[in-house]
Amino acid sequence: MIREATSAMDYTPAAGVEEAALIRAAQKGDRDAFERLVRAYDRSVLRLGMNLLRSVEDAYDVYQETFLRAYKNLHQFRFDCAFHTWLYRIATNQCLDHLRRKKVRREEPAVVETEEGPWNRLDGVPEERAQGDPQRNLLNRQLGERIRAVLEGLTAKERLVFELRHYQGLRLRAIGELLGSSEEAAKTCLFRATRKMRVALGDFV
Amino acid sequence: MNCESATKVLSLFLYGELSLEEEQSFQDHLEGCAECRRNFEAEKAIHQALEEREVAPPAALLARCRRDLAERLAREAAPRAGWRGWRGWIEWPSLARPAGAVALAALCFLGGRWTAATAGGTVLDPQVARVRYVLPEASGKVRVVIEETRQRLLTGDPGDEQIHRLLLAATRESSDAGLRAESLDILNRRPASDELRGTLLYALEHDPNPGVRLKAMDALKPYAGSSEVRSALAKVLLADDNPGLRTQAIDLLVQKKEDALVGLLQELVQRDSNDYVRLRCQRALQEMDASVGTF
Repeated sequence: MIREATSAMDYTPAAGVEEAALIRAAQKGDRDAFERLVRAYDRSVLRLGMNLLRSVEDAYDVYQETFLRAYKNLHQFRFDCAFHTWLYRIATNQCLDHLRRKKVRREEPAVVETEEGPWNRLDGVPEERAQGDPQRNLLNRQLGERIRAVLEGLTAKERLVFELRHYQGLRLRAIGELLGSSEEAAKTCLFRATRKMRVALGDFV
Repeated sequence: MNCESATKVLSLFLYGELSLEEEQSFQDHLEGCAECRRNFEAEKAIHQALEEREVAPPAALLARCRRDLAERLAREAAPRAGWRGWRGWIEWPSLARPAGAVALAALCFLGGRWTAATAGGTVLDPQVARVRYVLPEASGKVRVVIEETRQRLLTGDPGDEQIHRLLLAATRESSDAGLRAESLDILNRRPASDELRGTLLYALEHDPNPGVRLKAMDALKPYAGSSEVRSALAKVLLADDNPGLRTQAIDLLVQKKEDALVGLLQELVQRDSNDYVRLRCQRALQEMDASVGTF
């Protein structure tokens, strides 16, 4: 059985052989095989949605749309790229659509559901918050506010490239491939994103 | 490397995206430049601050996503490739989604009414399911977020409008297969109606549990002659992954001999993955004085 990927990079050749068999079975209509493929990648797709969109419902939508599209279009997968690249291409397109819509709506809920319950992103990280140090909490809150503001200020593509590189651990070459552009274009996007962060957060760290 | 180019590759170095030569050149520059060393330390601190703000998907959300996707995939399951020739004979009615929507709307509407009215029922005390979140405050107090499950008991005749609509909703919306089957049973004891038949057809085609689908098929036996039910039975033959259900669908379909059925059975003799289903098709064809193969 292929193991669950915790990030887009969590992939081995041995798993690839078994994965190819699952893909072929799923292409023939084996729904169990498809669900095993889902289980291998769904956690990282959901994490991508949560981190990029910061909304439980948007992340839920991205998850459902990504895997339904994958299911409907699996017969078009020709093994000319890695399956996770193909799947992430669908997921990132969904995320980009949501990000662009969010820009229009201008909404960015501060409270995100996490394993530990609702977490206000303007607060510090949970363990620091629990210590109840008011001075530290204040600094964390301000830092959180700055991070939120700078993430909101990034273009959809900058934010996506940053997320895929920083949190998902994808190489820039893979990100370029995912976005249908080049490694150099992904590098430029990442550079712009990190420069904006440096300007916004530089005096805080 | 000068300061300008070093500033450009700060992040790329931290992400391990530089070539060996570029890395070496960057490190050589850093050793001799205090300003760039400070910038590099600041960049590391920014990376660390961002790391700490990564959001892990809640386990409950992942579980909900998986459950809902499984249900949607079950609904999406298309007839197997190569059998498209029989689609013309089969009607693919779009009753499922509107009927489901009506049931859900009814549930929400009734839910709203029950909040305000007793409907002759008994309201039970809230039950605490679990503590989700605790937050100590500087004052020494603590804030606790709990999840509550509130239960309401309603008693009434299955024919009462509210009870009836809730039972209909339960057949589609409940995640508990036993509850869906029981609701179907109770509804099936009511006089026949288009609404009941629609509910049974929906369960036959869309319920993820084969036991519930079988129960729906049994309840549809009296209507096995109607074109709507025969269309649903043919879809079961083509798309259901349970051979027991496919066999029973054959039994019901052959009660009415039709030319179009002969072609479908001949196709199944060639393609069905189950030995017994293929054998049952062969027998049905012989009973209909039809040839087993297609020429």
